[in-house]
Amino acid sequence: MALKKGKPTPTLDIPGERQQARDLDGLVQALQADDPLMRRWAARDLTPHPEAAAALVAQLRRETENSVLQVILTSLTAIGDDTAVQGLIDCLYLEDAMLRNAAIEVLKELPDQVAPFMDRLLQDPDPDVRIFAVDVLESLRHPRVEDWLIEVISQDPHVNVCATAVDLLGEVGSDQAKAALASLKQRFADEPYIQFAADLALKRIEAE
Amino acid sequence: MKRILVIDDAATVRLYHREILEKAGFVVAEAINGLEALEKLEEAPFDLYLVDINMPKLDGYGFLRALRQLDVPQAPAIMISTESSASDRQTALVAGANLYILKPIKPEQLLLHVHGLLGEWHQP
Repeated sequence: MALKKGKPTPTLDIPGERQQARDLDGLVQALQADDPLMRRWAARDLTPHPEAAAALVAQLRRETENSVLQVILTSLTAIGDDTAVQGLIDCLYLEDAMLRNAAIEVLKELPDQVAPFMDRLLQDPDPDVRIFAVDVLESLRHPRVEDWLIEVISQDPHVNVCATAVDLLGEVGSDQAKAALASLKQRFADEPYIQFAADLALKRIEAE
Repeated sequence: MKRILVIDDAATVRLYHREILEKAGFVVAEAINGLEALEKLEEAPFDLYLVDINMPKLDGYGFLRALRQLDVPQAPAIMISTESSASDRQTALVAGANLYILKPIKPEQLLLHVHGLLGEWHQP
């Protein structure tokens, strides 16, 4: 927020800051304070406390202030344990597109931690969740990304899940994706977008 | 010539829409998310927006809400999504979309919707 001219420069001693105990219990309590500033400080100071992952996840689901939300996401990324990752994955099922997208962006930063969950996510009964899982793969630096994508375009029955995966294969696919791309074109022979995207992916692979 | 802004984080989707629309005589610009789309608005007005929902930085809903608040010439927006729930459709329309259609879209369907919206659009 811009400061008005003529006002004294604020010090780091911001009102509302760190008024509660800075131990784990105090911080978890502060995470639910009415004052967003207190919640933000608490979320930041909980970073070295993996045991606070569940509390951070719970607050993530109810937080209304974007600046606090960003700090919670940063803390969960730093903690990066199973509770944090599962909490972020649970956001993929939410109606809130902003939170969902934020969770996707954070999950991309946690390749090793997300990998054990990926097979289950790609088999989720909800095609939207499978699409979000493919979105996570977009910049997940993990050696299995191409294998997962090939598996999706070979087996997933939903055209939009395959369409999302084929977009990505156009960027990361290698020779080993060619047969699956050709099969995909046959499976969705009447879908112009699949034909277009698969042809583009094949062209890119050939050019490399 | 009518100018259309295609907003989608997937390069292949942008290219697919661009090819269809350019072949039909439209001028097409692209943005990879809602934020970049808002920046493009500063360059020149558009006659129609094709908007994806899920994009990093600023999603399609956020873009439309911001667009509808701006003091710029307004234009119709088509939200193109993979999400088929009634709540997504409702959210899109409340945010400012004029039409909500599902991917994957066939070229003739896209052009039908684009021509339809451009034909009936009147600047408020």
